[in-house]
Order: sequence, then C-alpha cells, then structure tokens
Amino acid sequence: LTALTGRYCFTYLEILGMNSLSFSVSSSQLVGCIRTYRRQTAEKLCPLKDEPWPRHEWTEGSRRVGLVAIKLGMAPIWTKSGERHAVTMLQVQDCHVIRCTSKEEYDGRSAALAVGGKNVSPFYRSEKAMELFRNAGVPPKQKVTIFKVSDNAIIKPGTPLYAAHFRPGQYVDVTAKSIGKGFQGVMKRWGFKGQPASHGQTKTHRRPGASGPGGDPAKVFKGKKMPGKMGNVFVTAYGLKIWRVNTKYNVLYVHGSVPGHTNCVLKVRDTVLPTRRSTLLNPPFPTYFTEEEGDLDEDLYSDDLFVHTEPSVTLS
Amino acid sequence: MAACTRGLKNLLTSIKFCRTLQFQDERFLCTSALRFANNEPPKFVPPSKPVIINKTQTTASTRRFLSPEFIPPRGRTDPFKYFMERRDMVRRRKALNIPEFYVGSILAVTMADANASGKTNRFVGICIQRGGRGLGATFVLRNILNGQGVEICYELYSPRIQTIEVLKLEKRLDSNLMYLRDALPEYSTVDPEMKPVPFSPTGEVPVNKLKVKMCPKPWSKHWERPQFAIQGIRFDLCMTPKQMEFVQKKYAKPWEEYDMLKEYDTSKLEEQIFAEVQQEMNK
Repeated sequence: LTALTGRYCFTYLEILGMNSLSFSVSSSQLVGCIRTYRRQTAEKLCPLKDEPWPRHEWTEGSRRVGLVAIKLGMAPIWTKSGERHAVTMLQVQDCHVIRCTSKEEYDGRSAALAVGGKNVSPFYRSEKAMELFRNAGVPPKQKVTIFKVSDNAIIKPGTPLYAAHFRPGQYVDVTAKSIGKGFQGVMKRWGFKGQPASHGQTKTHRRPGASGPGGDPAKVFKGKKMPGKMGNVFVTAYGLKIWRVNTKYNVLYVHGSVPGHTNCVLKVRDTVLPTRRSTLLNPPFPTYFTEEEGDLDEDLYSDDLFVHTEPSVTLS
Repeated sequence: MAACTRGLKNLLTSIKFCRTLQFQDERFLCTSALRFANNEPPKFVPPSKPVIINKTQTTASTRRFLSPEFIPPRGRTDPFKYFMERRDMVRRRKALNIPEFYVGSILAVTMADANASGKTNRFVGICIQRGGRGLGATFVLRNILNGQGVEICYELYSPRIQTIEVLKLEKRLDSNLMYLRDALPEYSTVDPEMKPVPFSPTGEVPVNKLKVKMCPKPWSKHWERPQFAIQGIRFDLCMTPKQMEFVQKKYAKPWEEYDMLKEYDTSKLEEQIFAEVQQEMNK
C-alpha cells in the first residue's frame, strides 16, 4: 500500500477530487483507487504502465507498419558491375507510434496504427492533435498517418520506429504530396497536344480544342480533362528498391525519384506489388527494437551495391 | 699461388691505405679487394639512395586545396544531406587517390571498360570543365586524336575509374575552357605519351596566361559576350575593337553586380568543410 502511494496514486486521488494538500485519505478510498489502477493497467488503458506488449511471429499474409520519413535529396550510386543509378535519401526523424485502433473499432477488416513523424512546435498543432500526442506520451508531430496492419503486428503506442525496420534489398511504396503547380493549362496538366504555332492559327495555341462528341449526348461528360489546379495531391511511387540503410543516422537510400519537394514528409511502407514481396529477407516483425535485436552495422548495403571503401571495379 | 700472395700483399697494403684514409666509402674497399682477387669486372653495387628530409617544408606550407565538389550549392537542402555525401566521398578518396587539379591541367585517366582490350582504357587530355557537386562531380577531358576532337566526361567518384594522374598541373585564365572547341586544333592537342611534368606540392599553382587563337566565326557560343567573361581568347585577331565594344555594351547586365540574391559567400563554409575533410582523411 505504502509503495503505491507514490506519484501514480496521486493522479487518481486528484480524480477523486482531493488536492495534494489534504493528506487525510480514508483507507476505503485508497483501496478503491488502487483497484481502479490495477483494472486499468490490466486493460492496458493506463499509459503510465511500462510493460511492452507481447510480440507475435510473422505469418503468411501479415502486414507490418510503415514509417514516416523526410525527403533529403538525391545522390548517385554504383553497382558492383559499374552501372550508375540515382537514389533518393529519406531520413526517419523521430518516428513514433501514436495510437492503436483494433480491428472492430477501425473498419472490421484490419487493425490500424497511427504513426507520427518529425517533431514540431506545439504552437502549430490543434488542441485535438495535442491530446493524441499527450495520450501517447510523445512530442507533437508534424504528420500523423494511418497504416492498416494485421492483428499480429500491432505495436504499443509510444514505441519509436527506426530506419532499420527496412532492410536493403526490400521494396517499398512511398506516398507524399506532389509539388503544387497551381492553376495550369490543359497541355501541362493532361499532356494535350495543343495547336500549331503558325499557319493561320488565330489566338489558339494551347487550348483544349473540342470538349466532347456533339449533339447526341449534347453535354460534356463528368471528369472531362480541363485546366485546373495541378499538383499538391497525394501520389504513391510503387516498388522502389532499398539500396542502403544507415542505422546510426536513420537514413534510407531508395531507388529512383519520389514525389514531393526536398524536406517534405513522406509515408513509407512495404510494397503491395505481388512480384516484389520477398519473404526471404526476414525483415524485423513487427518492427526493429534496439534492445532486442542488438547492434547492427552502421551501414547496411544491398548485395550488388558498390561500397566506396572497396577498390575500383575491374570488369572482365 | 703467386697471384694469391701478390693479391694478399696488395690487399694488406690497400687495407692500411684505407685505414689511414678512415674509410670514406666502403664500396671503394670491397671493389678494389675483389679486383685484386679475381680478374673480372666487379659486380655493380648501386649506391644507397640518400634520403633528403626537407625540414623547411612543413605541413602548413603545403598548398591548401579543397576540391570544388565539396562546396555545397546554394539551396534549401538540409546540410545533413551534404554531410552524408561528404562521408562517402572521403571513403572513396581513401580507396583511390584523386589528385589536386584545375581546369587547364593535363590529366591521364585509366578506366575499366568491358569492350576494350585488357579491359582498361587510358585517355590523356586537357581538363576543360569541372562540374557537379557531391558524389556526382564530373570533369571533362579534351584531346584531338587523328584529327578528331574527342571530349570525355568522367565522374570523379565512379568505381570504374582506376587511376587519375596529373601530367601537368597548371591553371588558365578562365575556369571553363569550352571555347577550345572553336579554337585552332593545336591548342587542344595533347601528346598521349606525354611524360609527367614534375611540380612542387607547395607554393602557387602556375597560371598559363596563354591567349588562344580562334577559328573563323560562327562559333558554337558567342564567346565574346560579357556573360562568359572569357580572358583567354585573342579577340583582337577575330573582331575589331568597335565590334567588341558594341557586343560588350549590348549584352552587358550592369545590375547583376548589385543583385543581393546572387551573392553566395562560401569562405566560412569552405574553411569548415576543409577542416572536416582533412580530419577524416588523416584518420
């Protein structure tokens, strides 16, 4: 009893309407308070309880969480045969799991985990958002995304997620808001051919031209490609190979280009493409835990990647 | 027998002679002894090479050179990205020696090539341009082989490059020698079997104040215009002073010198990066 009358019980005493000055607590009230605490911790509702959740094994068809990363920029890489490819560097900055919604609460099909990335000032987040972060015990984040996850891959809110969650050789999908181009004409937005520059064209060089069949429908169909706001929408790039993972600075080197401007926040997850879903790599399931998995090398490279410390390539 | 005794007697005398001379050269003793021992020319023993330690040349006086690809361009990218790239660049520089060179120097590059005999090819040329920043830094070498002008753009950090040697280290009046395409061929020809010209690691890099004679106009670019600011062309041989003055006046942009957004002072950045790179290279 005396052990429990520490800071844990204080919050419950406040709930009961007692302030810290009045130490005259009746024994029955104290017992009731302790019972609530025990019940809530058993139901995993108390965020002060520090035990990690049970980990499950990977099974066929299970999906795991993704990460929130920042696009740093692009750089060249070379393979062992001397071919050059371009990669985008993504840094996983302060990625935490914020909330876990079970299958029943979410949509009846799969559980969902809300993950946040990139710490920001609390002055730029709404009260509702701040409540979420407070419940998770996590600093305020710029972006909170939802990952649909199988039941055996749920993670306790508040766990940090690192770049070592992905391993080189794996394929990922990256979603981000594309660069906004503003109000654009039909040639840039939809790739229409426009009209010739000369040979008698009167004031018509970049116009859409005809807008539909004619008298029979006597209308313009919904969804007709017309000028409008272009960009600033969520776009996903599928099947991008991970060439290299830096576990010290949490940087992922991902093949090719990725939507969004430099320093934009992206959502990275395992591919949905069936031909690129390889189970041979055994990525950490449900995620990479530093305590359990121990020390990895600072840089993890894909098999066919040329590492700069090696001597020059000799082709044969 | 007589020869032996004679040899021995002579040997003894020579030993005494040498003792008095206080052995200035041990070679003298052994060759003379051998000569008297058997009538054959003595085996040549090369002299030991003297090791000269130049105490006047300290590390501080060696030229401070930071390769231009280490300096990040102006933009909104996170400096952390350049830091990651610099680490990779330093790792590559530890594996392959990339020497100091400037635009106007003559280099020889051997690269791995699957289609060449011996699987490597060597190209010698004058460096006309150094472009790119970070790992994608490039340099263009130009030469004229069998009357045909050839330019090859190499990536400094590509793993296919096996050696880069500087045959002649020098600077020119401009940082971009693309106008050599429109100059007379003699200015771009470099002998492929050229011997390396020795240069000192201290002191100033020699500036070749050569002014190049051009082919008749039209040129690939209007090199006389002020946007290129070329110092290394003999304009007096291609156009009249009046024409030159007209072009300089018409295409001048006098407001550019007051444009604050175009200012990019890299001195502090350069010092920081130089210190960082030196530290990493010496580890």
